[in-house]
Amino acid sequence: MRFVSLRPATYVLATTALLLIATAPSQAQTRAETLRYVTGASVNTLDPNIPGSTRESFALSMSTYDRLVAFGRKQLNGKWVFDLDTITGELAESYDVSPDGLKLTFHLRKDAKFQDGSPVTAEDVKWSLDRCVTAPVLGKAQLLTGSMTSADQFKVIDPLTVEVTLPKPDKLALPNLATVYPVIINSKVAKEHASADDPWATAWLKEHTAGSGAYVIETFKPGEQVIIKRNEDWNRGSPGKPAFFKRVIVQSVPEPATRANLVERGDADIVVDLQASDVQSLEAKGKLKVVSTPQYNAITFVSMNNQIPPFDNVNVRRAIAFALPYDDMFKAALFGRGAPLFGATWPDGKPANGIYPYQQPVKLDLDKAREYLKVAGFPEGFSTTFSFNVGQSSTAEPMAALVKESLGKIGIKVDIQKLPDAQMSTLINEKKLPFYIEGIVAWLPSTDYFYRNFYTGNQRWNYSSINNSELVAIAQEARFEPDKAKYEEDGRKLNAIHNSEMPQIMLWQPNQDAVMASSIEGYTYEFHRQVDYRDVSRK
Amino acid sequence: MTGGLGATMVRAGRRLLSSLPALFGVLVFTFLLMRVLPGDPAVFFASGPNAGKEEIEQIRKQMGLNKPVPEQLVYYLSDIGHGNLGRSMMTGQPVLKDLRERLPASLELTFTALLIALIAAVPLGVVAALRPGSIVDHGVRLFCALGVCVPTFVSGLLLIYVFYYLLGLAPDPTGRIDVFTSLPPQRTGFLSIDFLLAGDVEGWWAACKQLILPAVSMALFVIAPLARITRASMLVSLGSDFVRTARSVGLSWHKVVVTYALRNAILPVITIAGIVFSTMLGANVLVEKVFSWPGVASYALDALLSSDYAPVQGFVLLMASLFVLVNLLVDVCYGIADPRVSVE
Repeated sequence: MRFVSLRPATYVLATTALLLIATAPSQAQTRAETLRYVTGASVNTLDPNIPGSTRESFALSMSTYDRLVAFGRKQLNGKWVFDLDTITGELAESYDVSPDGLKLTFHLRKDAKFQDGSPVTAEDVKWSLDRCVTAPVLGKAQLLTGSMTSADQFKVIDPLTVEVTLPKPDKLALPNLATVYPVIINSKVAKEHASADDPWATAWLKEHTAGSGAYVIETFKPGEQVIIKRNEDWNRGSPGKPAFFKRVIVQSVPEPATRANLVERGDADIVVDLQASDVQSLEAKGKLKVVSTPQYNAITFVSMNNQIPPFDNVNVRRAIAFALPYDDMFKAALFGRGAPLFGATWPDGKPANGIYPYQQPVKLDLDKAREYLKVAGFPEGFSTTFSFNVGQSSTAEPMAALVKESLGKIGIKVDIQKLPDAQMSTLINEKKLPFYIEGIVAWLPSTDYFYRNFYTGNQRWNYSSINNSELVAIAQEARFEPDKAKYEEDGRKLNAIHNSEMPQIMLWQPNQDAVMASSIEGYTYEFHRQVDYRDVSRK
Repeated sequence: MTGGLGATMVRAGRRLLSSLPALFGVLVFTFLLMRVLPGDPAVFFASGPNAGKEEIEQIRKQMGLNKPVPEQLVYYLSDIGHGNLGRSMMTGQPVLKDLRERLPASLELTFTALLIALIAAVPLGVVAALRPGSIVDHGVRLFCALGVCVPTFVSGLLLIYVFYYLLGLAPDPTGRIDVFTSLPPQRTGFLSIDFLLAGDVEGWWAACKQLILPAVSMALFVIAPLARITRASMLVSLGSDFVRTARSVGLSWHKVVVTYALRNAILPVITIAGIVFSTMLGANVLVEKVFSWPGVASYALDALLSSDYAPVQGFVLLMASLFVLVNLLVDVCYGIADPRVSVE
């Protein structure tokens, strides 16, 4: 019947149709209990600590492993986002912070079991945290930002109590233990697979899990898909209950248009990395749920190397800041999907707030830009290159064209360079790019953390290569500042320096557009910017 | 006849031997090229939010990049000698394992596409040659032109749009098999064959459905060269003396066209098919991307973009070896199509 009505005109179409006429794909009855998540990236290791881990690997590890503590969530403009200020217990039932802030004591849950059925003990916690600060893993650099650097700091008090000692009262110590890396590993199992060369079993844990998390790995095909099934004994989410979905399929689909088709047809349940244009049209059709959250721990910049002439001149940087066509760029790159960080008015020229990032008092004003250029000694302009990487080209390409056009009006000739991702990272690391598009993300988005990591020292993440001793001093001091009002004051000072020095130009915080079937509930924007499968459920 | 076959085998063996230096050259060249290209893989892969100098050094050591290049080359060659192609940073797996898993996917897709292309192109070419200048001839020409004009990813996306999105006839274009179907025990790596061996007809049908859209979008692109070459060479052969003679002695139409004309015209088609096959295998990266096909080409492209040396080198070596094999096969096919060739 269908064949007759669909007989196409050409030979090829006929062949295709003939072979395609079929019943709907045979699906398991558990479809409603299965979450199918599609992504352009892929999972490359089961241990998030392995150097080179992808963001998808981070997200997966949130479900396969537990940490001592986890972030709570809060509503921000009606959307759920992670909350840095609420730390709840995960494997720890409760925790105490000593009055001087130097000792954190964790009381483990009595009922917590690893996926092989053995109980989670303080020994396992110590081994896992020791691993994080001693083994050649990514956790080392992360925990350093929370003043945890040595195995001596972790002490087993009794089988269910662990104590962490800090050299200074560090606000970020506790949140650090909720990040991706300090996973609690079943140390007995891991030790069985350790060797003299590899005492922390990094090689084995890369392809196996030994955790207590909400999901168990069913199949793992690197670069293609991972299927996980629910750990029925896990009860660290909503009290006493395991995660909602019985199975989760994490599948790599490189083509963004295909991902959009999949979720629109209902074959995929949730996706977070669609192109802005597809999100726009899916939202307009209104069939799916679109949750857009500005990535409030991420910022997109136009960055300038403050050590390379002519960008070593603050007036050149200011001129650029007033010559960028912000609104057009925002529309062309993101269809306006994000939170702008330009176009503010600071009443007395001072920031009213100590948070970072803070909306900047810059806008397109070519006369002002010309003025600054004249003061800088470049009344006729100059030539430079403007770079972005291939991976970002869908948003960066239109931005670059607009930057070129606008800067041309004040005499700055821009040569656009589109670089392969690895080459771009290398050039940034070697501090050789004068002028480019970049973005930053912080898992623990506090003002001092941003300034210490992204505006300090001769290191890769200091994109603008700014070297301002005042900024460094204030940021370091703020790190250990216990008084909230003083911390806020420090933040305002830092923001004022940022605006007067203009090391790089903040553009916006792009939205995380999570597009999902209308039956999916509970999606939360997490610090790692992926979906935490434990958050979601189906109506 | 046995003599002819023996000669072919000897020739094939000689060809294989003489290609070894070329393969070695490819190996060394790719190795050096990857290291000359700008972009430091260690910096790229050390991209966690806190990865600093220490992580970069660590990855460099892990990849063996801290040693001087000539030493790296010696290590690499000795590894290859032991059948070890290195480890991919991207997938975290040994390259050999990745390639072994992905090559059947690419081969299955390419074979199917080539088969579809040949089944479509040869009759089209023959029909066009039988009535040169007619409506049919122009129709074929138009069809071929369209096929070549439309890049494979565009035709791929169009096919997905029509057959998956609008009509809902095709399964979702995500890889070789529906995620909910269980896989057959792996024997050949070709899913359509493995399912048949396992006696799972439903699974076989599911795998075929996944295969058909990507194969058709690839086939569309290569129908043109195949059909054009069939037409041209059929024209020559139809106009030749032996066909005139065959016609004049009153042989049947079928015998004249298929047995005499087509068999003589098929040689260049085989050559082109061989070349088309090799190009398709490497160049189907766009189709693989659009259909999330877990093949070798998209694997190599991802590796290249992230400067992941080992997979790129492994891929080039694989392609070079396949090219040698395909050329050999084409040679052998010549011998079968035209016994004069093997005499040499």
